[in-house]
Amino acid sequence: MDLLEHYLGAVAAQLDKDQREDIIAELQDTLLNQFEEKEATLGRSLTDDEREAILREMGHPLVVAARYGKGPQHLAGPDLFPWWLFAVKAGLLIILALHLVDVFFTMFAGLGGFQDAMRHLFIIPFEGGLVWIGIATVAAYVIERTGWRPGFMTEWRVKDLPVLKLSDPEAWRAAMTGEKEKPAAAAWAAPKAPARWPAGEAIFGIIVLGVFIAWWGGFQRSGMEGVTLSRTGELLTVAPVWAANFVPILLLAIGQLWIELLRLMRPQWVRFIAGLQVIAAGVGIAILWTIFEVGHWFTLSQDASSIRVYGGWSQLDFERLWTVGDRAQDIVGNAGAVSLILSWVFVGAMLSLGFSMLRHLLTAIRGKG
Amino acid sequence: MSFDADLFESMRLELRRGSLVLAVLARLREERYGYTLRQALAGDGIEMEESTLYPLLRRLETQGLLTSEWREEEKRRKRFYQLSPMGTEMLAALATEWRGINASLDKII
Repeated sequence: MDLLEHYLGAVAAQLDKDQREDIIAELQDTLLNQFEEKEATLGRSLTDDEREAILREMGHPLVVAARYGKGPQHLAGPDLFPWWLFAVKAGLLIILALHLVDVFFTMFAGLGGFQDAMRHLFIIPFEGGLVWIGIATVAAYVIERTGWRPGFMTEWRVKDLPVLKLSDPEAWRAAMTGEKEKPAAAAWAAPKAPARWPAGEAIFGIIVLGVFIAWWGGFQRSGMEGVTLSRTGELLTVAPVWAANFVPILLLAIGQLWIELLRLMRPQWVRFIAGLQVIAAGVGIAILWTIFEVGHWFTLSQDASSIRVYGGWSQLDFERLWTVGDRAQDIVGNAGAVSLILSWVFVGAMLSLGFSMLRHLLTAIRGKG
Repeated sequence: MSFDADLFESMRLELRRGSLVLAVLARLREERYGYTLRQALAGDGIEMEESTLYPLLRRLETQGLLTSEWREEEKRRKRFYQLSPMGTEMLAALATEWRGINASLDKII
C-alpha cells in the first residue's frame, strides 16, 4: 500500500459512509494532479518524501475529514461559549461551597471519620467538578447541533441578571466576608477605575494573615498538645519539623502582612510590591520544600498505639488518591490517608506559589498588574 | 512594520474569508473541476487551500447553488462543478452587495 492509499484510507475512516466514496475519489484526483504537476516541474518521479510533503500540505486526515462534516466544527460556538463558561464557573463555585459545608459537618459535627472529611474535601469536589464540566459540555454540544435555544438565552430580563454574579469569585468572597458590594454602576461611571478593588483584596489578606499569625503565635503551646480529629478520638500531634520551622513561617506571615499593608497604603508602588511578593513566594516555596523533604509531619495516636504521618514523592500516586476513601477506618488507614492527602496539598501549594511568583515577576517587569 | 504581524494575518484572513464564496461562484459560471478551479483562482490572485476549497464546493452544492457531475477526462474520473440557476441568481445578488460595500468603504478609507 503506498503513501497515497494510506492517507486516503485515514481520511475515509473519518467520513460518513454515504459520502465517503465520492469525497475520496475527488481527493485522490486532486492529489494525483498535484503529484503530476510536481513531477512535470522536476522532470522526474517523486520520492516518497516529496509525496509525503504534498500530503502533509493537504492537511492532517482528521482535519481534512472534519471540514467535510455536516454539523458545526466546535462543541460550543462563539454565541454559546459565554453561557457554557458561566455555567461551568458558577457550577464549580456552588460545588465548592456545598462541599465546604459538607466537610464542616463531616469533620466537626462528628458525622463521619477523618478519611470521610478528607474525601469530601478533596476527592468529591474534584470528581463533581469534572462531572459538571462534562454535563455542561454535552448540553452545549446538543444545543449547538439542534439550533434550539432555551428561553433564558433569548428572552432574558434585566431583573434576572443578578444570578450572573454566581460565577464571580469576588461576589462569593464578599458574601462570605460580609463586605458591602459596590454598585456596578459606579464602575461604569468612572472608566479609569480598576475593575477590581485592590484595597478589598488587601483588607481580606490582612484579616486572614492576622488570624493566622495570632494562631501560629500560640502554636507552640497549643499545637504540641495535639488536635482530636473526630469522634473516633484519634489525636494528631505535630512532628518536630514544624517547631523547627516555626520562626521562618512566622516571619514569612509577618512579611506577607506587611506587603498587604503596603498594598493598602501605597497601592501605587506596583513594582516594589510585586518584587516583595516574588521574594515572599520564593521563601514560601523554600519553607514548603524543606518541610516536604523532611517527610515526617504528624503523629496520629489512639489509645496506646501511634503511627507517623509521612509524606513525600512516593505518595504522589493518582491510583492511591482515587481509592483514599477505601482504606480501613482505623489508625493505620487514617494515617495513610492523611499522608497521601497532605503530600498532594504540599505539591499543589508549591505549584501555586510558583505560578504566583511568575505572575508577580511579570507585574514587576511590566509595572502594571 | 509597527503592528503585530500575526494580528494582521488573522485580520487579513478574516477579511478574505467572506469574499471566497463570491470568487468561487463567479469562477464557476463556466464548468470546472476542483483542480482547474483552484488554478484559475490562483491566476486571479486568490490563493485557496484544497482543504478549504473542496468542502466549500460540497457545501455550495448542498445549498443548491452548484451542480456537479462525474466525467472521465485525461483517463481519470473528475467531478465537474458549475453554477446552478439558483447559484446564478445568488451570484448576481451577492455581486450587487459586494459592489455596494466596496463603494461605501471607498468613501471611508
